[in-house]
Amino acid sequence: MKLKTRWAFIRFCITFLFLFAGWLLFTWSLDPGSLLAGFAAAFIIALLTFRIFVEEEEAGRRAHLLRPHMLLVFLVVLIFNMYIASFQVLFFILRGKINPAVVHFRTRLKADIARVALTSAITLTPGTITIDLEDDHLLVHWLDARTTHSRYAGNLIKGTYEKLLKRVWI
Amino acid sequence: MIIAAYVFFGLGIIFNIMGNIGVLVFPDVYTRLQASSTCSTTSVFSFFIGCMLYAGWGPITGRLVVITLFFFVTNPISAHIIGRFAWQSGIVPWRKSYLNRNDPSEDEDD
Amino acid sequence: MDLVLQYLVYFLIASCLLSMVRVIIGPSLPDRMIGLNLVAAQTLVILVILSVAMDRSIYLDVALVYDIFGFVGILALARYFSGTKEKP
Repeated sequence: MKLKTRWAFIRFCITFLFLFAGWLLFTWSLDPGSLLAGFAAAFIIALLTFRIFVEEEEAGRRAHLLRPHMLLVFLVVLIFNMYIASFQVLFFILRGKINPAVVHFRTRLKADIARVALTSAITLTPGTITIDLEDDHLLVHWLDARTTHSRYAGNLIKGTYEKLLKRVWI
Repeated sequence: MIIAAYVFFGLGIIFNIMGNIGVLVFPDVYTRLQASSTCSTTSVFSFFIGCMLYAGWGPITGRLVVITLFFFVTNPISAHIIGRFAWQSGIVPWRKSYLNRNDPSEDEDD
Repeated sequence: MDLVLQYLVYFLIASCLLSMVRVIIGPSLPDRMIGLNLVAAQTLVILVILSVAMDRSIYLDVALVYDIFGFVGILALARYFSGTKEKP
């Protein structure tokens, strides 16, 4: 029982920190009235919703101990890949020669939030869209299918993202 | 600063036009979804970066960062929801040709 | 109000009308949802550009709420139609 209350307190603190950081970014002011209102609102909302925001069965420390500098590197790589893939899709639209296929592969990431981040990164890159996500099994629609072999397609689509995400969420 | 903002606006306009043409031209639900992802992700992101550069450092930039992060979280999820809905309602993806499937790039050697 | 931003708003309104063509002629239900998603994204950009052009940071609240409701709308549409099979 002691362990459960402590874990609930940690979950409450994580939710509160996220909400308060969002408030600070959104209001962009440091006068005491605004800070007090944000503190009260974040406290009440975190008290109400911390059971939904962080699951109780989430495997402890691994899912939340992220490294911010690696997350920044991941975002920069994602935006760069997004522009490159956009120009490729623009070229396909202009030429009108496409070769779509559905490929499926597995991922090696452990934490749930890392898998969701990998899915979002694949969908955010134009040219690939995640259709379905089972436990560790991804189903991806690919606009320019160079191969349909599972392992090669996985290396081509998720290679750099998986390497970087493995370092973000340890 | 203003020049960089105009460059990003130009990129956004190019991707917007091409994404709209792609949505009208492509033959199938999933390929249309790819073209709409070009339009609605990269073009919108270019416009946001252009607005951040145009407005400069201030309260507008902070709120724009929040909106951009929220857009980064929600937009791939809504594209994924549409694709999953099409997949579950039984729409078959369009292939280039069903006849000559035995080209050497599809050899399955595990 | 800058002239470039003004013409950008006009361009985005025309682009929204072009996206509505897919909503009208789409043969199946997911096609229309793709069109609606595009229109929602471009309307979000129109709101952001208007707020930057008029230099009022209060309009960005409207943009954020519009973003949330676009996402929830797509989610509700997919959940509502998920029981029905597509008729050819």
